[in-house]
Amino acid sequence: MAEPLPRGVTAERMADALGRFRKIVGGDWVFSGEKVVSYYDPYTIPNDPERYKAHAAVAPASTEQVQGIVKVANELRVPLWTVSRGKNFAYGGAAPVVSGSIVLDLSRMNRIVEVNEKFGYALVEPGVSYFDLYKDIKERGLKLWLDVPDPGWGSIVGNALDHGVGYTPYGDHFMMQCGMEVVLANGEVVRTGMGAMPGNNTWQLFKYGFGPYVDGIFSQSNFGVVTKMGIWLMPEPAGYRPYLITFPREEDIEQIVEIVRPLRLSNVIQNAATIRSLVLDAALFATKSQYYSGEGPIPDSVAKKIMADQEIGMWNFCGALYGPPPVTDALWTAIRDSFAAIPGVKFYFPQDRKRRPDILIHRADTMRGIPKLTEFGFLNWNGGGGHVGFSPVSPTTGKDAIKQFRMVSGRVREYGFDYSGLMAIGFRELHHVTVIAYDQTNPKEREKLDRLFNLLVREAAAEGYGEYRTHIHYMDTIARTYSWNDNALMKMHQTLKDALDPNGILSPGKSGIWPRHLREGAKT
Amino acid sequence: MKHIALIPLLVLALADLANPAAGAEMTGKEVFDHYCTYCHGTADGPGTMQLRRTRGQDKALLTGRTDLTAEYIENVVRHGRRSMPPFVPSDLTEARLRALVEFLRSPLPGR
Repeated sequence: MAEPLPRGVTAERMADALGRFRKIVGGDWVFSGEKVVSYYDPYTIPNDPERYKAHAAVAPASTEQVQGIVKVANELRVPLWTVSRGKNFAYGGAAPVVSGSIVLDLSRMNRIVEVNEKFGYALVEPGVSYFDLYKDIKERGLKLWLDVPDPGWGSIVGNALDHGVGYTPYGDHFMMQCGMEVVLANGEVVRTGMGAMPGNNTWQLFKYGFGPYVDGIFSQSNFGVVTKMGIWLMPEPAGYRPYLITFPREEDIEQIVEIVRPLRLSNVIQNAATIRSLVLDAALFATKSQYYSGEGPIPDSVAKKIMADQEIGMWNFCGALYGPPPVTDALWTAIRDSFAAIPGVKFYFPQDRKRRPDILIHRADTMRGIPKLTEFGFLNWNGGGGHVGFSPVSPTTGKDAIKQFRMVSGRVREYGFDYSGLMAIGFRELHHVTVIAYDQTNPKEREKLDRLFNLLVREAAAEGYGEYRTHIHYMDTIARTYSWNDNALMKMHQTLKDALDPNGILSPGKSGIWPRHLREGAKT
Repeated sequence: MKHIALIPLLVLALADLANPAAGAEMTGKEVFDHYCTYCHGTADGPGTMQLRRTRGQDKALLTGRTDLTAEYIENVVRHGRRSMPPFVPSDLTEARLRALVEFLRSPLPGR
């Protein structure tokens, strides 16, 4: 099958680009033809087979090679689509927004440049996975903990740049980022913050340097290629005590979140804890068919059976305590006493959980930064493989939490899916992440999912709720909801894009940001 | 994964695999442990559970299978299948894929 070409790029020009890329990285590291299939979106949504198809991929091994590649791409006006490791699977994987793009695959740039135990940080390249850094820290016996998202094979750099979250006190990954090296579209290399000063030794210690703080413009964007990034690591605490609190009714979410807010704001809840729904937790280790063979979402009677079988609630609050026992004892007393007001609440520590596998035993690893892939088990619930996250942000109030829950769960169930969601607790907001698992082999189901997702975005935006992250298929849709003052923010993004990447070669369409020549429709 | 040690510290030998640079030689067992084991290495791994559901208990664990052809393994690794995403050739290289195929098709007692 002929791979697509981007609009305006001839086959001859593309062949020229690939030939020059081979000279830069070596012939073994340019992938085209049949080999590019691994860069397709594994959980595709649209039924049009031509959408989001790369033409080829190029895998540099160094910053210098990235510089060479972007210079060639600029000269020949060939679009690149940058991925760190391409494991952002619920959001499109390694697939580009613009069909025919060449994936700039940074997997081979996998050096751990430094791990500093004294100050608690690492400096890594984009190809370094959570598994990689975890093993390195363990092998060297360092007293440091990572913060990991659920997929441990993902890139530390890529996850932070996409505003990913984890579950320890260092759960906001971009907040824990400190200092970048970035290749701009013209091939120039920039180091941000203190890294801009020759001979400075605080690049990974102080974020802001002097002048405008620019690191944020390289996140969820297409303004440069991040080739190194500092990430802060948590000192191993003197004690660790994970816990699970279960609640029996869906409507409990309102009271739960009201209790959570002051506890989180005052750091009594220390970590990026999560309030997880019944199906999300049940699906990790069980399939829907074990409990229900009917059509559509599970009924209440089945939900109650699952709760009893798995000793979980309709909502499950997974948190952890970090520090010396006198500290964690005091924190636990405050947490337990606060939640005790909710009828039917149950409290568990790992030693209370006898079933295997078990949600708390699993989450206890994640909340101490052990990377895993266990969460992929939820895809076995239906078995269809596809999944996508709908992730609006909410204030940490009970009123908003139950409103969002009812809005989203109502629509999701109306369209025949089970509600499978979590509320990830930030300092002052909730990421309400609903994972919709669908049968990717069924075109009708994909079409139904697409209608549902667009409806969810519209209804959330009408209530002032915006998504923090999305699949490549919805980047334009989400970007359009951030429209205050006649789309002033997007206009600023476009101004930056035109200044930093005038030929529009870097990841066109990322986060709805298009280069000048591809704006105003007919983009792909 | 390559490592540039700026802080000289004792390197502790662990049973699990040191992370190799992309393109470095690995045995088939090492490839399996590095790329596959998180989903397919244990009885409650998500890949094992999926195969148990779709193929039955006797075919749930990949390391116990004798029916996998080279073409099938290569196809699933490169294209993905249902929940399993594909692995790109910059990371799981052609040489590593060949080693993995050899490992999964080797006689069971020697695996």
